[in-house]
Amino acid sequence: MNKFFRIAWQEYSRHVFRKRFMLVLFAFPLMLAFIVGLVVVIVWMESNPTPVGYIDQSGFLAQAIPQPAPKWPERMVPMVPYSDPATAQADLLDGKLQAYYIIPNDYLQSGQVKEIYVNEPKGVASSQFNAFLSANLLVNVPADIAHRLQDGSHLFFQSTDKSRLASEEQFVNLILPFVAGILFIIAISTSSGYLLQAVVEEKENRTMEIMVTSVSPGQLMGGKTIADILVGITQLVVWGLFIVVILFFGKSYISFLSGITFPIKTLLILTLVMLPAFIMISGLMASIGATVTAASEGQQIMGLFTIPIWIPYIMIPVFIQNPNSPLALIMTLFPLTAPMTVAIRLGFSSIPTWQLITSILLLVLSAIGAVWLAGRAFRLGMLRYGQRLRWKEIFSPQQG
Amino acid sequence: VTRVFIMKKTLLVLRHEILTILSRPSFLFALFGIPFIGAMVFVVAAQLSKGSQAASMLSTLVSNQPTVNVEGYVDQSGIIKTVPNTIPAGVLIAYPDEASALQALQSGQISTYYVISADYVSSGRIDAVQATFNPLGSQKHFGDLQYILNYNLLDNNSQLTLLINGPKNVEVTSLSSAPQREQNNMLTFFLPYAVTMLFYIVILSAASLLLSSVAKEKENRMIEILLLSVTPNQLLTGKIVGLGLLGLVQIIIWVGTGRILLAESGTTFNLPIAFQLPPSFLVWGVIFFLLGYAVYASLMAGLGALVPNLREATQATILVIFPLIIPIMLISVLINEPNSVLSVLLSLFPLTAPVTMMTRLSAGSVPLWQTILSAVLLAATAILVVRSVARMFHAQTILSGQPFSRKLFITTLFGKA
Repeated sequence: MNKFFRIAWQEYSRHVFRKRFMLVLFAFPLMLAFIVGLVVVIVWMESNPTPVGYIDQSGFLAQAIPQPAPKWPERMVPMVPYSDPATAQADLLDGKLQAYYIIPNDYLQSGQVKEIYVNEPKGVASSQFNAFLSANLLVNVPADIAHRLQDGSHLFFQSTDKSRLASEEQFVNLILPFVAGILFIIAISTSSGYLLQAVVEEKENRTMEIMVTSVSPGQLMGGKTIADILVGITQLVVWGLFIVVILFFGKSYISFLSGITFPIKTLLILTLVMLPAFIMISGLMASIGATVTAASEGQQIMGLFTIPIWIPYIMIPVFIQNPNSPLALIMTLFPLTAPMTVAIRLGFSSIPTWQLITSILLLVLSAIGAVWLAGRAFRLGMLRYGQRLRWKEIFSPQQG
Repeated sequence: VTRVFIMKKTLLVLRHEILTILSRPSFLFALFGIPFIGAMVFVVAAQLSKGSQAASMLSTLVSNQPTVNVEGYVDQSGIIKTVPNTIPAGVLIAYPDEASALQALQSGQISTYYVISADYVSSGRIDAVQATFNPLGSQKHFGDLQYILNYNLLDNNSQLTLLINGPKNVEVTSLSSAPQREQNNMLTFFLPYAVTMLFYIVILSAASLLLSSVAKEKENRMIEILLLSVTPNQLLTGKIVGLGLLGLVQIIIWVGTGRILLAESGTTFNLPIAFQLPPSFLVWGVIFFLLGYAVYASLMAGLGALVPNLREATQATILVIFPLIIPIMLISVLINEPNSVLSVLLSLFPLTAPVTMMTRLSAGSVPLWQTILSAVLLAATAILVVRSVARMFHAQTILSGQPFSRKLFITTLFGKA
């Protein structure tokens, strides 16, 4: 047992107490902050504050009131009246206007306007112009009704049993399970990547022969597996803490964060799915590590498994449009695609219970299979050099 | 005679590099497989847009089982008094209370019901209860319900109701002579995105091939034997030119396929002329690839000369490729604002120029002087880097086996060590 822990500790500290690991650990939160900043900059840049001109032939803009102020970081686009198209066009070509509109005298009947520009303005200009028109159309309507008409409705979505609630204001609730899923999967790939290396490395530099003289293959492999899984969990815990801290302190400053709830049930389901997935993928990686002879070779084969794990990520639009399609069902049940698919569907829609149970069962079975495979491949391939271990050998009953 | 002899050895290295890489299945796959997959996707998409049998099979795979197309609502606010006759009958059913709506939902008569809250005017709250919880999916008749609500709030004034969200129809005129791209066309974003990624991947992969080929020969001590018969400079030139040629072939095949597909889609998908890249694009593409490759491949070769083994080499690459990642991180800014100060600066700065300039060229029109200036600056940098790496590529450094450090790389590059 002592040897087991020494191997585990050596493997764990070797990866975690290293500059590069620490960098990745803290780069993720920084990256997140960077992306949020970038989004703000883009919205700010897209709202070009160059004025928009208009020529009103219908007369309802005679005493125009400005459109309601947009939300930060979007900037207000001023609306400037013109009496004739020639001046407006001259100002447009001078770059004083980004576009101008001509509102014909039958606007209330036809609802038709003309827009003239050099380069098409970003969406913000036209949406603010629309808000400007509607604000002026509704001058004679009582203020509370006018506000409601301009602001529109706030939709709250509920499932039939009222267990799930989502709205635009609480959009974060929908992505949270998905984000948690992605974090899980990144942690899984970190661990399994190290696990792949762990086996090949000692083979590559010929330490393996010395190692097996003092520890049993079971101790060696078990210690390394536990350590590498702990490395992934370390990553997960640090990132999870970071998110919890943000939610805790951000609540009072950022309004959309205040409605966040993370139901225990969702967390439980995610854990039930991710745990066997973790073991399955680690097992597969360890068996790859045991069969190949060089680390670079292992990395190529690893790619084959990484692709199906991430495929559901590309399919998100399909899952949102049609959450119960046959494709969604297949990807929920197939063990390699299941972790990501479940995380996505759990957040954006809901999964029927029988699908969840079947998926978890299949994952557990594959996890057991992968561990068996890894143990066998390791025993056979441990001291094999130069020649790759063939899959046929692993499954043939005479060996091992 | 010696000149010819030197050339011959360089060519020998060159030939060996090309043959080794060409014999790798992964390279051949990247070279032909990726354009092939692209073409397949294109064919499938063309079939889909025509609505063939294969298309209908695909769509059944990704679509839901058919559901009822009827929705219901419960008006607790008492706003809805009349339903305008423009709303088709039978798609939105009014229920007196939530219990009866829930019953209709559970018996499958409706797919969703909306509850308009009693304080709708002040809060705006509407609850949508769905048989299948799917908040991001599209709602079939919510637009109709909103129209009915607005119509009643405006005392049945249908003219005003229709104009609340702005004009019904906008007739646009552009005074610009250049063909305009539509803001909401997906290609406006994805065309420059694809071009950027392509340049990033090709430059990076060609440069990494060089790094691994140098580091590998160092690691397995082959370099000690090689340096007996060729000079370090012959080795470096042969490797850079050989792998550069392969990268060039790769980029020509990829860009060529992309251009053919784009031109083809002009007829298949009625693509506006604004999305068809001009032939000059291909020329600039080749120029910026070659120069960008020269800079990055030499830097990688320098790195390869200093690191003791392949693993340390891959860890050290981040030092070199970091400037190449910057345009990728800022890609949405570059595409949305191809002529902003940031974009111009990044496309002139030599280390970010190869990728950024191609993004800008594919996102919109770039003043010719900027393209030329950027190419000149990049060429000057390429010459400097190649010369300094050639200096670095001495037997002394290659064979030293000293551990790698960032400081060592930078000081050697600037010729101080």
